[in-house]
Amino acid sequence: MPGRGRCPDCGSTELVEDSHYSQSQLVCSDCGCVVTEGVLTTTFSDEGNLREVTYSRSTGENEQVSRSQQRGLRRVRDLCRVLQLPPTFEDTAVAYYQQAYRHSGIRAARLQKKEVLVGCCVLITCRQHNWPLTMGAICTLLYADLDVFSSTYMQIVKLLGLDVPSLCLAELVKTYCSRVSFTQPGVQWHHHSSLQPGTHGLKRSAHLILPKCSFKLFQASPSVPAKYVEDKEKMLSRTMQLVELANETWLVTGRHPLPVITAATFLAWQSLQPADRLSCSLARFCKLANVDLPYPASSRLQELLAVLLRMAEQLAWLRVLRLDKRSVVKHIGDLLQHRQSLVRSAFRDGTAEVETREKEPPGWGQGQGEGEVGNNSLGLPQGKRPASPALLLPPCMLKSPKRICPVPPVSTVTGDENISDSEIEQYLRTPQEVRDFQRAQAARQAATSVPNPP
Amino acid sequence: MDQNNSLPPYAQGLASPQGAMTPGIPIFSPMMPYGTGLTPQPIQNTNSLSILEEQQRQATQGTSGQAPQLFHSQTLTTAPLPGTTPLYPSPMTPMTPITPATPASESSGIVPQLQNIVSTVNLGCKLDLKTIALRARNAEYNPKRFAAVIMRIREPRTTALIFSSGKMVCTGAKSEEQSRLAARKYARVVQKLGFPAKFLDFKIQNMVGSCDVKFPIRLEGLVLTHQQFSSYEPELFPGLIYRMIKPRIVLLIFVSGKVVLTGAKVRAEIYEAFENIYPILKGFRKTT
Repeated sequence: MPGRGRCPDCGSTELVEDSHYSQSQLVCSDCGCVVTEGVLTTTFSDEGNLREVTYSRSTGENEQVSRSQQRGLRRVRDLCRVLQLPPTFEDTAVAYYQQAYRHSGIRAARLQKKEVLVGCCVLITCRQHNWPLTMGAICTLLYADLDVFSSTYMQIVKLLGLDVPSLCLAELVKTYCSRVSFTQPGVQWHHHSSLQPGTHGLKRSAHLILPKCSFKLFQASPSVPAKYVEDKEKMLSRTMQLVELANETWLVTGRHPLPVITAATFLAWQSLQPADRLSCSLARFCKLANVDLPYPASSRLQELLAVLLRMAEQLAWLRVLRLDKRSVVKHIGDLLQHRQSLVRSAFRDGTAEVETREKEPPGWGQGQGEGEVGNNSLGLPQGKRPASPALLLPPCMLKSPKRICPVPPVSTVTGDENISDSEIEQYLRTPQEVRDFQRAQAARQAATSVPNPP
Repeated sequence: MDQNNSLPPYAQGLASPQGAMTPGIPIFSPMMPYGTGLTPQPIQNTNSLSILEEQQRQATQGTSGQAPQLFHSQTLTTAPLPGTTPLYPSPMTPMTPITPATPASESSGIVPQLQNIVSTVNLGCKLDLKTIALRARNAEYNPKRFAAVIMRIREPRTTALIFSSGKMVCTGAKSEEQSRLAARKYARVVQKLGFPAKFLDFKIQNMVGSCDVKFPIRLEGLVLTHQQFSSYEPELFPGLIYRMIKPRIVLLIFVSGKVVLTGAKVRAEIYEAFENIYPILKGFRKTT
């Protein structure tokens, strides 16, 4: 390069700047003589423009992934592995978590909320693939409060603008029936030792939530008599039919799905061998099957039995037996076989009925039975007609209201009326009252300030 | 006490029908930006359509240039509101629930009842909460739990939160006028306790209404067809949460047919929201 000097050896002006590793050198391009050398070390001021570039900037990442986000992403992956979800679910859940993290409200949230967010992302992923994972299951796994989970879930769905389908009831029934097992508790522990290391903090009994657990299903053991063992396929199909029946007769809408499924599973199991199993209660069944008994399950069971009893009333050969809630279990098989027509004849459309009821005068209720004969599809003679069809309505509409809410009288308040002094005076303390109150407060203070009264 | 009683020009323009200044027709808060604040008389107008018509009539006369984005009238005789086009969808179309242009006879005939009104007012002076709690009978003050005095009056039966900054929240009234009267009574109590309380910026913040359509509703079906507006999680809450875009109201719809509407700033929004949702709910009636 001209103007840079000459090589002392050969006199050429062709000097190039060439670095030997990190040391800058001026080298003659003709003879290779090193003319000058830079210092190996630089001062801070020298390095002004040579400051190193951080990894994330050099790779073009827009933001650094913070440690708490990394931790959250690890938890998401762990949760997916514990639940044995397909690998594509993991990527989707991680993507949702990252998407959520871009919002400042989530970044600044408490650690508890970020932990729950992990569960929310996995739940949304499962729902979108129709994988039956309940919120209760996730909360149990994460040791989280359902209230916290609920608020975070609603917030994140709104924030990300996601379309989350409803819980798939059919899949949940299949999962639940697979879970119901009759083995000893000890056996189950053996199967989850294959959990990944580092999945601490996730409840060890995750296997209870796994959809396809292959324990010794439905096999007799010392605690389970042989008569209680049942074929999985038969139970699954009958449970499914019972759940569909519950859905049709308004027992599922607005209610938590799991207790309905518990009740249906129990009824299906009982009805497959009623002679031996009628003596077993719902609580005992759940204990033997090693599943939790949700609190509403017993009332769902009663409602389902009431529906079945109404259906039984439509069959002549069952009507004469005068069935009750226990004996109807023996005939559930028949009832389910003809459930479509039985429901249609046992119940009249509650929606239309409520309207006509509104328009009729109140004294009509008594004459209802007679009026129904004409509508009766079975067309039996007057004396032998079955019970008049009940209204097909959700149970909350069939019960009488707890308290009658009176229509408030129409008020003629304008908002600008005069406010009388006497009305306001009633809300003010008299001076004597003020003094009494102050004295009482002082006495209370004195009492509480003495730590150990004699 | 300085009550904001003077009417701005546009509110006076709403004085048709004649004689609207009688006590029968309440004057709504003049601080409202929209002119359609007139409360319809619940006694006479049980048909919600006539309420909307009346509102629209007054809106076209009284609006001060701002588009009252409050409602679609079913009979849109005047120029359409900017940004909204009258459509005629069938009730089953999963689109923004705009009121179908059906004849008046098809309106539901059900009027939602107002259950709760939340309003705020500025008393315009700093308050000493300890004094108020000491000298008022109907006050409770627990600074460790909440930094406001909770005061209650019997008529109208309401509760107020009074803060030391002088701001006050009044809840529990069943109508806008009652809320205003109650707020004035609280301000009068504070005045009598020795503070120079005024009555500034009275504003209705939220109105809650409820009604019963009297037939059961298939919530699972509703969430399928109106997915973008509905949220139905039976594991969390038995009702379906419907967030209507126009008007911006949140409805809680239950399987028994009871509907709760909330988030309204004026009564007309509640009525309009219900008229919008009723045909949608009717569409889910016959499925059993």
